[in-house]
Amino acid sequence: MNMLEVPLEIFRYKEGEPPHHDTFTVQVPETAHVIDAIDAVWAMHDRSLVFRRACHHSSCGSCSLRVNGVEMLPCITRVKDVWDGRAPLRLDPLRNFPVVSDLVVDLSSFFQRMSAAEMTITCDAESSLPLSVDDFAVSKIPSRAVELPVNLSRFNRFENCIECAICMSACPTMATDEKFFGPAALAAIFRARQKTDSPADVAHLLSLADGEHGVWRCHSAFECTAACPQAVDPAGKIMALRRELITRRFKKR
Amino acid sequence: MATLNYSRIRRTGRWVDVRRRKLGMWAYALNRITGIGLVVYLYLHLGVLSMLAHGQSSWDSFTALARSPFYLALDVILLAIILIHGLNGIRVALTGFDIGVRVQKRLFVILMLIAAAALVVAAAKIFAV
Amino acid sequence: MDNPFAKEPKATTAWLWQVFTGIGLVILLGMHFIANHFIARGGLRDFADVVAYLRNPIVLVLELLFLLFVTTHALLGVRAILLDLGFSGRAEKRLSRLLTGVGVLTVGYGVWLTWIIIH
Repeated sequence: MNMLEVPLEIFRYKEGEPPHHDTFTVQVPETAHVIDAIDAVWAMHDRSLVFRRACHHSSCGSCSLRVNGVEMLPCITRVKDVWDGRAPLRLDPLRNFPVVSDLVVDLSSFFQRMSAAEMTITCDAESSLPLSVDDFAVSKIPSRAVELPVNLSRFNRFENCIECAICMSACPTMATDEKFFGPAALAAIFRARQKTDSPADVAHLLSLADGEHGVWRCHSAFECTAACPQAVDPAGKIMALRRELITRRFKKR
Repeated sequence: MATLNYSRIRRTGRWVDVRRRKLGMWAYALNRITGIGLVVYLYLHLGVLSMLAHGQSSWDSFTALARSPFYLALDVILLAIILIHGLNGIRVALTGFDIGVRVQKRLFVILMLIAAAALVVAAAKIFAV
Repeated sequence: MDNPFAKEPKATTAWLWQVFTGIGLVILLGMHFIANHFIARGGLRDFADVVAYLRNPIVLVLELLFLLFVTTHALLGVRAILLDLGFSGRAEKRLSRLLTGVGVLTVGYGVWLTWIIIH
């Protein structure tokens, strides 16, 4: 197995000290992901390095950071795809959130936004176990006699968004407007709106999106959609919300 | 817990740095810069027009200056700014109504090519006069 | 704990006006440009030309409409850039009123200047 000697320039911040970058060189396999290199720094060089990681396969959204200034998930980004072989890989925390330490930012305002959009995940199917045999259908294809759930919506509770906050870091409006809902939360409002037809719920959700710090603060940079690792397309959702808001405004007249 | 927060002043100018950002971000920064430039030009232009209130000789001395090659070159730059802002603005209007969102990058490239072509034609006409 | 994002007032129709004036400007600015710099002899009108041009009632209406559209579009743009800095509800209203005042003064100046030139 071929190994790489990768230099890393990592943002460091500890309370009471000025922020700076520390340089480390680690040895990782050539197929390694960036998160493996960060793990190696922590394991071999500096146990005071603070960073988030969990699933290593872009499901949890924990590890998001910036590599050479660009937001990405280091768990699915190979070192070879972002490293030119010479200059150190520069690692910085996400923008637009307060830095707690090193590569970790305080995401509480992000989760406040998401909860305002009320994207709570309901899993009533899981709380009603055991399921009866009637809930399943057997596939007609003999080699695939797998039991399939008949009513998929009872089981389908996952949206694309893994709440990694990469879009919030990439968005230019998030930099200066602290009240801006942000791409993730606006996409969540769109998703929540798709799930309901109750007039009261729709009115509430749309009025959240309609605020001066809602969809109208978006300036079509589309950086959120470009940076999103899960194809949520927040910009597209924001524009779809705008279309609905405008349509309703003219219908009322 | 003392978190690190960057000052609003430092954050305000962040949008200008478009290195490593994608095409949409370039379009946004370009539209914003040309927009600011055009607001400045609007008030400059309105100020210049006040010379018309001071009679013929005042205005004629301005038009003599306005025909100089340096001034004409500035006019070409102004036209470039207008074309970029106007054509990209059409794209912002369309995508803002949820039209053409999937092709916004291609739309930007096509519109900027149109702007470049129109600019070349206009510049030729301006300097031929 | 109160969620600051849970309640937001409705926005204005500022963006719709921005688009409307923007599209209008594509036409009005195009006309203004062509009339003043491509039809006019030598690309610029001398004093007598300007007076004659503005005395045409259709031209007068179109040029004043152009002024109204361009001022509105420009100041709505300035407002959008400033609102990005995160104004509170009251401060935002004050900003909008200030910019409206600037707009009224700008258009007023243009109307006054046109009046002087024609007469």
